[in-house]
Amino acid sequence: MKRRDFLKQTTFASGMFFVPQFLKTFEQIPKEISSYKKVVIIQLKGGNDGLNTIVPFRNDIYYQKRQNIALQKNELIQLTDNIGLHKSLQPLQNLYDNGFLNIINNVGYPNPNLSHFRSTDIWQTASDSNQYLQNGWVGRYLDYTKANPTKAIEVDEALSLMLKGKTKNGLAVTDAKSLHNSLREPFYKNVITANKDAHLNEHNLGYLYNTMIDAKSSAKYIFEKTKVKTTANNYPKNSFGKQLKTISQFINSGLETQVFYAGLTGFDTHANQQNTQTRLLKTYAESMAVFINDLQKNNTFKDVLVLTFSEFGRRVKQNDSRGTDHGTANNVFIMGQNLKQQGFYNKLPDLSNLDKNGNLKHEIDFREIYATILDKWLAVDNKAILNKKFSNLNFI
Amino acid sequence: MKSAHVQHLYNRIGFGILPDQLNQLAAKSKQEVVASIFADVKQPKLLKVDLSFLKELKPGDLKNKEKRQEIRKKSRRKVNEYSVAWVKRILNPTDVFREKMTLFWANHFVCDSRNNVLFTQNYNNLLRKNAFGNFVSFTKQVSKDAAMLGYLNNKQNKKKSPNENFARELMELFTLGENNYSETDIKESARAFTGYNHNFRGKFILRENQHDTNDKTFFGKTGNFNGDDIIDIITQQKQCALFISEKIYHYFVNEVSNKAHITAMANVFYKDYNIENLMRFVLLSDWFYNEENIGSKIKAPIDFLASIHKIVPFEFEQPKQILLVQRLLGQTLLKPPNVAGFKTGRSWIDSNTLVKRLRLPSILLNNAEITYTDLGDEESTLPKKDKKLKRKTFIKTQTDWLTFEENFKSTNNKTLIYSVLGSNINKGTSELLEENLHIPKKDFCIQLLSLPEFQLC
Repeated sequence: MKRRDFLKQTTFASGMFFVPQFLKTFEQIPKEISSYKKVVIIQLKGGNDGLNTIVPFRNDIYYQKRQNIALQKNELIQLTDNIGLHKSLQPLQNLYDNGFLNIINNVGYPNPNLSHFRSTDIWQTASDSNQYLQNGWVGRYLDYTKANPTKAIEVDEALSLMLKGKTKNGLAVTDAKSLHNSLREPFYKNVITANKDAHLNEHNLGYLYNTMIDAKSSAKYIFEKTKVKTTANNYPKNSFGKQLKTISQFINSGLETQVFYAGLTGFDTHANQQNTQTRLLKTYAESMAVFINDLQKNNTFKDVLVLTFSEFGRRVKQNDSRGTDHGTANNVFIMGQNLKQQGFYNKLPDLSNLDKNGNLKHEIDFREIYATILDKWLAVDNKAILNKKFSNLNFI
Repeated sequence: MKSAHVQHLYNRIGFGILPDQLNQLAAKSKQEVVASIFADVKQPKLLKVDLSFLKELKPGDLKNKEKRQEIRKKSRRKVNEYSVAWVKRILNPTDVFREKMTLFWANHFVCDSRNNVLFTQNYNNLLRKNAFGNFVSFTKQVSKDAAMLGYLNNKQNKKKSPNENFARELMELFTLGENNYSETDIKESARAFTGYNHNFRGKFILRENQHDTNDKTFFGKTGNFNGDDIIDIITQQKQCALFISEKIYHYFVNEVSNKAHITAMANVFYKDYNIENLMRFVLLSDWFYNEENIGSKIKAPIDFLASIHKIVPFEFEQPKQILLVQRLLGQTLLKPPNVAGFKTGRSWIDSNTLVKRLRLPSILLNNAEITYTDLGDEESTLPKKDKKLKRKTFIKTQTDWLTFEENFKSTNNKTLIYSVLGSNINKGTSELLEENLHIPKKDFCIQLLSLPEFQLC
C-alpha cells in the first residue's frame, strides 16, 4: 500500500477541506513588524575554549600553561596591541572593524558548575547554581508578555528548557514546511475542526488539544508568511549554516518572532583541541558573516541583536591530551548595528588570579547581560523575568 | 472489579491490557487482582547484554590513554545496545510492574555512566532488584554503587577536600527534597561519605586513609558517622517518607498532589520503608480508582511507545532505530538530561514532540518515512566528516497485525475505542469516531492511536 493511499484510507471521510476558521489567525492582527526588536541566541555547545578564541598573545602565563596548544602571535588576527583573534574568526573581522561586535570577557556566575547539562540549564533558566528551575528565561518572557508560541523559535528538533515557560512555550522548528504538512492531513484537520466549540479545559487533555492547535496554527503562520521570501544562497552547507539561513528567512519575512535560538555542537575539546576548534570556529564565523550580511541587505540588521555564549569556558592549564578540561568564566559575543560599546567591553581575564581549581574567576554575571537585553532591547522589566533584579551593562 | 478500574490499574502498573485478560480479571475482586500482580513480581529477571569484551581487561589497561579511549568508545556503543535491550524488555516484559517500577527508580536515583557499560548494567539491575525492596537498604546500595560514585563525584570526595555533590543530591533529590536540610547538614554529611570508592570491577571499597573519622553533627546528632549512618538518620525523618510517597503518587496516581492521600501513604511507608507494602497500599486504596485519577496522566515517551506495542505488536527491523525513536520523542534511556532526571508530565509535550507523537503510530505501523536532523554523537571529540544536514529514513518495522486481529477478534470498532483510549474523549472527536465506525478495524485503530487522547493514561 502506498503512503498516499494509506493516508486516504485512514482519513475521516467528511468535511475534508474545511478551513478551520477558529484557528488563531495571528497574521490578521496588524503589527508594526519593523519596530520589533529581535534577539538571536547562539550556543557554542560543549564549552568553547575562550582563551584560544580571544588570545592574550603577550601573556607569559598563557604560554606557560598551554605549551602544546597556545596560539602564536603570527597565527592570530591582531586586534589590539595584546589581543589576537583566532584565525578562523577572520570572517568576523569586518564586523569588529565596523563596530558591530562587542566582546564581553569573564562572564560566568557564582559557584560555577562544570557539568555540561547542569551549566546549560543554569544559563537557560537563569537560575543560581544551586537552584533547579523548571522553566527558562525566554519561556518566562513569553509568560509575561502573554505571547503566541511563534514569539520564540528554536531551530531544532526539540524545545530546550530556555523556551519553556510556566504557561507558555516557544516553538521548535527545523522545517516549517514539514511541520505544516504533518498536521495538514485531513485527519488532523477534522479532529481540530470537530473540537472547535469544545471547552478546552485546563486538564491535560485540554493542554494536548491546545498544543496541537497551536502547533497547527503556528506552522501554518510560519509556512505561509515565509514561503515567498528567499534568502542569500551562500550559507555554508552545514547544519549551523542551515539554522542561520532559516532564521534569516524568518526575520526577513517579517515574522513576529522576537527570540531565536540555535546552536553549534562539538566544542568539548578534551583532546587534540586545535583541529576541532579551528574547524568549528570557522563554521561559526563563516555562517555568522553571511547571516549578518543577509540581514543588512534586507535592512533588518538594525533590529537584531545576536548573543553568542557557551555553557562554560575551559581550564587555563591544558591537559595531557593536547586539550582542555571544563572550566568556568568565558567570553560572550554581542553583535548588532547600534552598540554603545564596540570592540572589548572589559579587560581580558587575569590569568594570575584563578580559583582553587585553576579556573577563571567571573567578573560579570551572565544574567546582567540578559537583564540588559530585557530592559533596553525588549523593553520589559528584567526582575519580572529573572526573578530578581540584575543591574544593566552598557553595551546597548 | 469494574472493567474500567482494571484497565486503569494496568495502565499504571504496566502499559495497558488486552481484552481477554481484562475480562478475566474483571470477574475477580480487587484484593485478588492486586495479590496476583504482586505474585508476579517475586523474582527479578535481570537484564544483561554480552560484555565478553571486558573479560580480558586488566586494571593497567586503563592507564594507557589510547586503550582507555578505545574501551570508552566500545562501552558507549554497548550502552546504546543496553538501551535498546531495555526498551525491548519494556515492550515484551515478563514482569511488567517491576519494569514500570524500574523506570520510576531510574528517574529518581538518576545516574549516567555511559562511559562504562559494566557499571551501567550493574546499576540498572540494582534498580530492578530493589524496585520493591527496602528503601533504606536501597539508598545505601546506591550510595556505594560504582556508577553513582562516579556520576556524583563521590569518589573524589576525600577527607582533605570534601566534594559535596553526592551529599547534596542525596538530600535534595533522593530523600528529603529542597529546603528540608541545611547547608551545614550537607557539609557534615559529605564528610561521612569521604573515602568512598570502588575497584576496577566496580566493587565498593572504603579508602580508610581518605575517610574522615572525626565527629560529624547531622540533624542534631553528633558522632563518628559513616555514610550508612547518615542514610539511617535521613530516613528517620518523616519528611523522607513523605517525599518518596509524593513522588510515587505523582508517577502512579496523579501529577497533582492530594495531601491526605500522600500523608496516608507516608504513614504506611514510614513504618518499615518497604516499597512493596507501600505500592500494595496504593493499589488497594479506594482513591486510586477515583474519577480524577483515571486517564489523567501524560504518558512518558517510553510508556507511549510501549502502549502502542501492547495494542499492535511490532518489531524494529533495525534495532538501532529504537534509539532514533527515543531521541525524537525526547526520552533516551540511560541518557538523562541531568541529575534531576527527565522532566515529566506536560514537560514531555511541546508542539514539535506532540506532532511526532501524533504521527508515530502511522509511521511505526506503516513503515512511513520520517525526516530528522542528524546531530551526530555529541561526546565524540574526534574530528569527523561533515554530516549530512538532514536525513530521511524509513522506520522499518514488522507489524504483527495477525496478533492484533486475534487479540481483538471479539472487539468491534465501538468497543475498540475504550480498549485503546484510557481517558475521556473530547466531544467533537467522539462524534467523529462515531461517524467512522464502519471503516476497517486496523485503520480505525491507527486513528485512535493518533489522537491526543492516546497520549493519556
